[in-house]
Amino acid sequence: MKLSVALGSTELFAHLTPEEIEFLESIAVERDFAEGAVLFEEDTEAKDFYIVVDGRVGLELVSPRRRPIVIQTLGRGDLVGLSWVFPPYVWSWRARAIDPTRAIAFDATQVRERCGIDQNLSEQMLRLVAREAIRRLHGARAQLLDLYEFPR
Amino acid sequence: MTVKAPALELAAEEMRPLPFRVASNRRETADTVTVELEPVDNPGVTCAPGQFTMVYAYGVGEIPISVAGYADDTIVHTVRAVGAVTTAISHLDVGDHVGVRGPYGVGWPMAEAAGKDVVVAAGGIGLAPLRPVVMHLLDNRDRYGAVSLIYGARTPDDMLYIDELQQWRGRFDIEVEVTVDRAGDDWHGDVGLVTNMLPRITYDPTNSISMVCGPEIMMKVVARELGARGLGPDNVYLSMERNMKCAIGFCGHCQYGPDFVCRDGPIFSYDYVAARMRVTEL
Repeated sequence: MKLSVALGSTELFAHLTPEEIEFLESIAVERDFAEGAVLFEEDTEAKDFYIVVDGRVGLELVSPRRRPIVIQTLGRGDLVGLSWVFPPYVWSWRARAIDPTRAIAFDATQVRERCGIDQNLSEQMLRLVAREAIRRLHGARAQLLDLYEFPR
Repeated sequence: MTVKAPALELAAEEMRPLPFRVASNRRETADTVTVELEPVDNPGVTCAPGQFTMVYAYGVGEIPISVAGYADDTIVHTVRAVGAVTTAISHLDVGDHVGVRGPYGVGWPMAEAAGKDVVVAAGGIGLAPLRPVVMHLLDNRDRYGAVSLIYGARTPDDMLYIDELQQWRGRFDIEVEVTVDRAGDDWHGDVGLVTNMLPRITYDPTNSISMVCGPEIMMKVVARELGARGLGPDNVYLSMERNMKCAIGFCGHCQYGPDFVCRDGPIFSYDYVAARMRVTEL
């Protein structure tokens, strides 16, 4: 199925070779999620990860006796799902569409298997996830600093 | 050194507040109000985006407040009640009087921004000094390239100018992205750091200018992320507010390295102040 976005043109996959892009495109599936639809559930196997084409996805912590707490929202071009890279391959958060959302899904098992025989792809995927993890870590730290509070 | 008499006379004139009356007031958040001030028997003042005035709450004291808007002869200020003077101003009723002198300071680089994409980045009450920037950009839309506003606040309840944000979002000639650190069930917007909004907006880093206002730590984080995304520090401008007292570079309260913020700022380019922003407690 032809994707609405050329993966090679995305910021996330800018460092991949044409062959690796071709592989990812061969396993990629574009999916539409209605507002409120769940991309993946917390504590479930990390099967598919996503890139948002359009719309917004909230990462949520499901909490007893209250509605889910949104800890971060992701939008166009963002990677949804990091936990597919390392064992035990289990999602830490729930991902739910805040708006009607279109996203490209990648079968994590197939990507991991390919990484086992393609060292460059493996390195680039680790870099991709590490970059995202660092960016989100910096963001979380900055939020802890209460960034918008003027010193009194 | 002796100060010559003409300088003293000039200073005396500069220090004299003009009477203004509260024409309207509006509560923005639990501790923040926006007041519109109109001159009383005087021609008023002419402001530029990024400047500030000294507002005197009679019998309480005087403080610097960024200009959050101006029209004809009125000035708009948004004030967060954190001390005696700001609390007094936040309790003013329509018809009450204050003293105003100014405006002072170097404003935002509106002329330099002409022909470029403009990224306006605000955090918390830092949207106030950028409100006239957005209004100017929209009033003179054809002079600028892509225009975007990213705005971060702690919670939805801490956001300023909700009605205007909604109006701006409804336009097709400005991108507006708003995010909060924490939100309840009734918030359907974004959650996360304000810098997360940068990939969503349109700008050409090779021909853009950014104007950033918020607490210094927020500005530093935004400036750094803009740099990582190709926008050089010479094209990133920050509002460095300090403890301005005289507002005319006489008293030295707002000295910031070699500059007096009241006279040489409050707007500085990031490349000019970046080294100072790494100095502990400066």
